[in-house]
Amino acid sequence: MTPAERQTHLLKTAARAAKMVTMILDPQELLQRMVDVICDEFKFYYAGVFLLNATGQYAVLRAGRGEAGAAMLAEGHKLLAGGNSMIGACVQHRQARIALDVGAEAVHFENPHLPNTRSEMALPLIVGDEVIGALTVQSEQEAAFLEDDISALQTMADQLAIAIHNSNLHRRNQDLIRQAERRTRLLEAANVVGREVTSILSLDALLPGTVNIICEAYGFYYAGVFLLDESGEYAVLRAGYGEAGKAMLAEGYRLKVGPGSMIGAAVSFGEARIALDVEEERVHFKNPHLPHTRSEMALPLIFGHRVLGAVTIQSVEERAFSQDDITTLLTMAEHLAVAINNAYALERLKEAHAELLRTKVFEALTTATTEAIHWIGNKTLPISLTVSRLREEIAEGKVDLDSLKEDLDMIAESAEQITQVKEQLIGAVREQKPRPVLLADALEAAALQRGLAAGLLSTQIDPSAAYVIADSTQLVRALGNLLQNAGEAGATSVRVAASPSDERGMLRLVILDDGAGMPAETLEKAWSPFFSTRGHQGLGLPASLHVVSQAQGRITLESEEGKGSRVEIHLPLARVDGESLSLDGVSSILLVDDDDEWAAAFAALLGGAGVKVTRQTSLKKLPAADLVLVDEYCSALSMDEALSALEKAGLTSKTVILTAALNPERVTRYLRSGVKDVQPKPYTAAEIAALLQ
Amino acid sequence: MTTVLLVDDEKLVLRSLEKTLLRAGYDVVTASDCKSGSETFAQNRAQVDIAILDLNMPGFDATPKAGAGLDLLANLKEQRADLPVVILTAYDEVNKAREAVSGGASAFFVKGREQGLVELIQRILGGQG
Repeated sequence: MTPAERQTHLLKTAARAAKMVTMILDPQELLQRMVDVICDEFKFYYAGVFLLNATGQYAVLRAGRGEAGAAMLAEGHKLLAGGNSMIGACVQHRQARIALDVGAEAVHFENPHLPNTRSEMALPLIVGDEVIGALTVQSEQEAAFLEDDISALQTMADQLAIAIHNSNLHRRNQDLIRQAERRTRLLEAANVVGREVTSILSLDALLPGTVNIICEAYGFYYAGVFLLDESGEYAVLRAGYGEAGKAMLAEGYRLKVGPGSMIGAAVSFGEARIALDVEEERVHFKNPHLPHTRSEMALPLIFGHRVLGAVTIQSVEERAFSQDDITTLLTMAEHLAVAINNAYALERLKEAHAELLRTKVFEALTTATTEAIHWIGNKTLPISLTVSRLREEIAEGKVDLDSLKEDLDMIAESAEQITQVKEQLIGAVREQKPRPVLLADALEAAALQRGLAAGLLSTQIDPSAAYVIADSTQLVRALGNLLQNAGEAGATSVRVAASPSDERGMLRLVILDDGAGMPAETLEKAWSPFFSTRGHQGLGLPASLHVVSQAQGRITLESEEGKGSRVEIHLPLARVDGESLSLDGVSSILLVDDDDEWAAAFAALLGGAGVKVTRQTSLKKLPAADLVLVDEYCSALSMDEALSALEKAGLTSKTVILTAALNPERVTRYLRSGVKDVQPKPYTAAEIAALLQ
Repeated sequence: MTTVLLVDDEKLVLRSLEKTLLRAGYDVVTASDCKSGSETFAQNRAQVDIAILDLNMPGFDATPKAGAGLDLLANLKEQRADLPVVILTAYDEVNKAREAVSGGASAFFVKGREQGLVELIQRILGGQG
């Protein structure tokens, strides 16, 4: 290469180096690329970059060519600024140093990694007035450096110095941005905790959530929440981050209140404690679950003047906590203390409520027991009295037949009353099959079942509240008990109104009677089993309550003596859509029922499906049909009359009896009379289709 | 002949007790609440030797009332202070018994132990006589 060619090459290399330093932002990559370019392009034996450390005491090797460079980097190669080395002297005097024969250069340091060096040049890296390091370039040739090389390399060293400086600035900017981002994240985390403390009242949900937020938002190694135990002697871990937290919670980790630990001290003195290097902190407790902790902060949880516990926050870094961290974590701890205090208040409230409930339940049980004793006493007295009297009469041989008959009737009547209790008690708890039920039909069945005088009941049902979800048998039982009560209270009118309730998806049913009503004292006991003012079992209202509760509803009773009673029931509404029916096999149906809503709906649905439905309310002149359907609760006829008329017409075997309220005894009776089947009354198209299949 | 006024709103209790007392040789007049009990006594004041009253039954206003028997006790005592009265109840309760005795009742009788009722009447009337 001629000097002119070499000159051109050097200029091109310097230009490439200049481009490189503007494009590579990663300082480590930049330094390494620079030493590689110098060695490759100038064919030098070795090049390396030293940068001064923070104190300016040493020039530390930051990039080196080849294996020698890698080995020296691994050793942490550094040279004392102002020492005997060429680099040391170069940074000290801010001047390039060239040793054309290193053997003769006094300041050259014999480097075992670079045994072949015969020429060396050290060029200072200067930005403005500041030396930031030096570039070393070494050659195997003696007197290797030409004047042009020196000036080209110094140009590159200057560019490198600026690039390093820029890179440092860039890093500092990045740090500032990261710091700002972290601050934002911390504020968001503090906000999340702040929000949660107002919405989560369960400590079991709040505390683990908080330690997770602290560790995830701040990037800390560990966080845990301790609460003071009842004795005030120990701070007990209630939530801990990660596997370490899990393990400590499992072993019931706790710390004694007092100066023996950071948490113990924070709780004891009500002050935050921060140990930036836990090795030096006297109160730090060596925890085998958290071996990497190098900084720890313990913040007391204080509400009012009361210390409730403390939060521990730990980091693997020394001096990990910035002022931002401390400020936001202190705020978080304050919020947390408020939430813990709220949760404690709620717990106390719950305990008080449970105590009140226990008292009320005990009172209710006492009332029920007292009423039951009264009731049993009254119902069994005639039996035992009559039996002992009969024994005496038999012993004396003076049995009067009429008197005996009366005695037996009394025994039978008492026994019957006792048996009815069984049905009232068991009936309401029988298995429930909730389904859409036409409310008007259930009311009609209930009124007929309880023999409510005709004309007493008037109903007004909003079409959008026509169906409820309930077990029809149980609903008829519950409504029957209420209608019977109204009837027995001497009501001359019982008005029933149903409409959608204010509560979404619910129906409101009001039963209003103008009967005798109840005094306050009676009203108070009205829900107690066995309490009755009319010599009944006193199980009607409790059974209705049970049925309504089972149907996910609720029931209330108001009453005024001399004016009447008002029962309000809320039950889930059912939506029944007009589906289309398609049926095979049945072409004509005779329906024997009152001319009521259900019968009309039934006939309309089947008419659409092409089935001829003949409706009759009486049993005169029964026409032929494929199928006869008879409503059990039909005001115009008794079932005994119906069964005998069907038999006369030869239709018994084609008859299915439909009922809103299944009763095992009656089902047995109807089936024994030879009818085809007894079925729950269908209220939806699907149920009708299933019935007619 | 000794006459017993028997007042109870439980129809079967009333009738079976009545039959037991009749068989024991007493005359029995009956009523089913405070009002009719008071009236029945007033009509038979001269004949009635002892009254047996249910504790809980319809009161003077015909509505059921806990302890209505004690009201009738007071009413009967006003009509005749020396009338022996037995309070009949299904409750085995000391406080009610104490109240009955302080109201002038001769005895407080718990239903279910009625085998002793005839003996009790005899003892009360015997002691008096």
